[in-house]
Amino acid sequence: MNLNYILSSEDRQAAELAVGSPIEYCIPANLSILSRLSAGYFVIGEQHWAYVENGEVLERGAIADAGEYKMVPLVGSVVLEAEEAGTKRFIVRATMEHAARFGYLAGVLNDKAAQRKVRIFNNEEERVCVECGGSLIPGTRACPRCMSKAAAFKRLFSVSKARWGGFAIALTVLLAGAGIALLNPYLLKLLINGALQPAEGEASSMTVFYWAIGGLVACLLVGELMSLIRGRVMAKVSSSIAADLRKLVFDKTQSLSLGFMTSQRAGDMMNRITSDTERIRHLIQELCTTAIFQLIILVSASILLFQADWRLALIVLLPAPIVAYMHMYIWKYVLHKLFHKLWRIHDKANSFLHDVLSGIRVVKAFGQEGREMKRFREYNGDFAAMTIKSERLFSILSPITNYLIQLGQYFVLLLGCNMILNNQMDVGELIQFSTYAAMIFGPIAWLMFMPRWIANAVISIDRIFSVIDEQPEVVDDKEPVKHPINGGIRFQNVYFGYKSYEPVLKNVNIDIRQGEMIGLVGHSGSGKSTLINLISRFYDCNEGAILIDGVDIRSMKQEDLRSQIGVVLQETFLFRGSILDNIRYARPEATDLEVIEAARVANAHTFIINLPDGYDSLLEENGNNLSGGERQRLAIARAVLKDPKILILDEATASLDIDTEMAIQEALQRVTKGRTTIAIAHRLSTLRSVDRLIVLEKGVVAEVGSHKELMEKQGIYYMLITAQRGMSKSVKGQPQLTAAVEP
Amino acid sequence: MKTTEALLETETETKGNSEASGRELENAAKIHYLTGSNAKFRKTEGNMLSVTADGETHPAVYVHCSFPHTNRTSYLSIRNIDNKEIGMIRSLGDFDEATAKLLEEQMQIRYFCPEITKVLSMKEEFGYSYWEAETTAGVCRFTVRNGGANAKLVTAVRLVISDVNGNRFVIPDIGKLGDKEYRMVETIM
Repeated sequence: MNLNYILSSEDRQAAELAVGSPIEYCIPANLSILSRLSAGYFVIGEQHWAYVENGEVLERGAIADAGEYKMVPLVGSVVLEAEEAGTKRFIVRATMEHAARFGYLAGVLNDKAAQRKVRIFNNEEERVCVECGGSLIPGTRACPRCMSKAAAFKRLFSVSKARWGGFAIALTVLLAGAGIALLNPYLLKLLINGALQPAEGEASSMTVFYWAIGGLVACLLVGELMSLIRGRVMAKVSSSIAADLRKLVFDKTQSLSLGFMTSQRAGDMMNRITSDTERIRHLIQELCTTAIFQLIILVSASILLFQADWRLALIVLLPAPIVAYMHMYIWKYVLHKLFHKLWRIHDKANSFLHDVLSGIRVVKAFGQEGREMKRFREYNGDFAAMTIKSERLFSILSPITNYLIQLGQYFVLLLGCNMILNNQMDVGELIQFSTYAAMIFGPIAWLMFMPRWIANAVISIDRIFSVIDEQPEVVDDKEPVKHPINGGIRFQNVYFGYKSYEPVLKNVNIDIRQGEMIGLVGHSGSGKSTLINLISRFYDCNEGAILIDGVDIRSMKQEDLRSQIGVVLQETFLFRGSILDNIRYARPEATDLEVIEAARVANAHTFIINLPDGYDSLLEENGNNLSGGERQRLAIARAVLKDPKILILDEATASLDIDTEMAIQEALQRVTKGRTTIAIAHRLSTLRSVDRLIVLEKGVVAEVGSHKELMEKQGIYYMLITAQRGMSKSVKGQPQLTAAVEP
Repeated sequence: MKTTEALLETETETKGNSEASGRELENAAKIHYLTGSNAKFRKTEGNMLSVTADGETHPAVYVHCSFPHTNRTSYLSIRNIDNKEIGMIRSLGDFDEATAKLLEEQMQIRYFCPEITKVLSMKEEFGYSYWEAETTAGVCRFTVRNGGANAKLVTAVRLVISDVNGNRFVIPDIGKLGDKEYRMVETIM
């Protein structure tokens, strides 16, 4: 990310003078307070900052005079604010694309103001193309404008090299097929000149007739045969290449870090594996069959035309590109836009239908049936009107475009017949000529659509290779250590932020003994889930180290580390399959008995045994055919089967009713015996059973101690607990329900 | 089973009932309204908005619009940095001209959404459209991703366009666009 923009010389001079030192950082602050775009820049020197615009320094200040510099995102712009002398002040303003830059610089300013070491981890990539400044295609490093099509195809070529045998066969067959197609008109000419309409003075020859007919039939048969073989070969080749690509992408998705995968949408990834590869397969198939075929036909037919009669050929060929262009123009601009509009209205009407019909319960509950009927009438009317309009237009345009294409043939007929009457040509030649002419238009029109279609395929190629090229963020050490975990965890001066300019955890120092149960408490957004992600090494901390039994987790193999940590999250995720399969996911080699034992520990055995299919019951997607509590217990059973030394529970009992919660709490008591457990907890019941509590507040460890100690301290923990108790006391006559704490 | 006519009639009936419940709603909502008599706004040296209401001074407050696209003069929520509401302004008319102007300025800062006065060019390629337009903030170049989510009609005629960086632009009335401009805009809706 660029934090050092180059200033014009007059700007730079003015800025350096204002900050009294060489410029350390400089970014655009391109929005004035009156909402006009400006060529302003925000400059940071050693101890001063300045705002310079067109050679003039409009504002400056000493960094240490203010504190709490913050990038405040507003609606459509960002503002840099600070606190000075107890009150807030506004510094500069910019448009959204510089938001992240201001985020970084706010951090820098805060560090400078507090006279700390400037902590900046500028490893965020620029979201714009370095060459043209346009945005990159999301999820890739490619710019759609500067993308080199040749490079993309080269990559594709390297992957498809392995299938060259199939390509060679297909190409041979292709050439043969093209040759036969071109032979057809010649045979036709022979037929006509030799048998049907012989030249004056010559008798019609039946032999020629039969040979010609026979030849035509043979051409037809062989041509179709070629086509068949070609189709089969290319289907195999293209499908294999697509399968290869899919395998590459999927394997990569499994090996990439969680950070990359969470930054992508699951649907997007799925699209790359399925529809993008499909597009490439289609491209290969079409390119190596139809495209080359069309090209060969086009070139050969043109040559033959010129050979036959160059004047007629010119008359045919000159208008051809123009006609094809008009055809494409009408299709692409007029019709395409029309159908796009129709599709939009259809889409809106459809969404409306879907909404109302699936939400019919709400419609009825609020008595809005009349209103919905009115609205449907409107949508329906719009759609009908649009359909009529587009069909009308289509019915006019379609014949016109077809007519234009055929026009050339009429010209040929006109001139050709003239030439026949003047004895410059015979019928057979004319028929041959017009057949070749007819063969020209198809390829030209088809080839007109190729560029767009190649461009789309190139994007697909890029999207796929961007995943294949992606390097995992969390990499194993060159020589990873295999370390059987005992359970002692230590955080040493850990700093971490998902976006490095926004640290979520700051200077965290924790020491957890083996077998201890730790409760992690704090307001939402204080960094609890992040802490847990770091223990599992889903992300690497920016600074500091995390040690397990004294060994840095970065020196351990990732799979090894995670296989010894068990996690039960707030939102369970179960795969499709039987309950047995799901529990066994933790350890595929576990025996049936071990699965049952794990289920018993997790208090899941009772409800499973009561199901009609028992442990073989099939779960639907995400186990939606079970209740929340039952799914949670399966997740706990899964974690238990793993027999991990470290167990992480992320609000495992949120949003469950009291009976289920008690069952789960009891299960957890059994499960956590002897294991180092870290539980993010909001429920008093969970908190009371922990050995020690760690209170996080805004990313910093605020308090550490046992429940008793922290209550006596009357700090943040005390406030959280009394707030909870207060809430439960105000609900009279009900058992002490504990709810999640909200800030 | 209600007939169509009966259903359409019920609609007008329910409107009568809502007036009575409106007063109860008002009592339950407990909105604290700020007016010229109980609140004084001023601009601080640090260019922030400050308000003194009911004896208490809040050094930095922000003006939030309930209806940023359709109504910038009514039902403005005045909140401090911790997102706690100091009060609501029923209408800018409750304040003198100078204060109203100050509040409008603050809204301009918070809601930056330049109006497109003329679409100069639009090119569509590879799933993005590259725009160049004259706006109330100057000539802007921006890139919009294809797909309906980035150009939304917030009223029947007002179109808000979000670009890939989060910048927003608004076309106040798509009906007033020239033919050519309309066709360009249509492709992203």
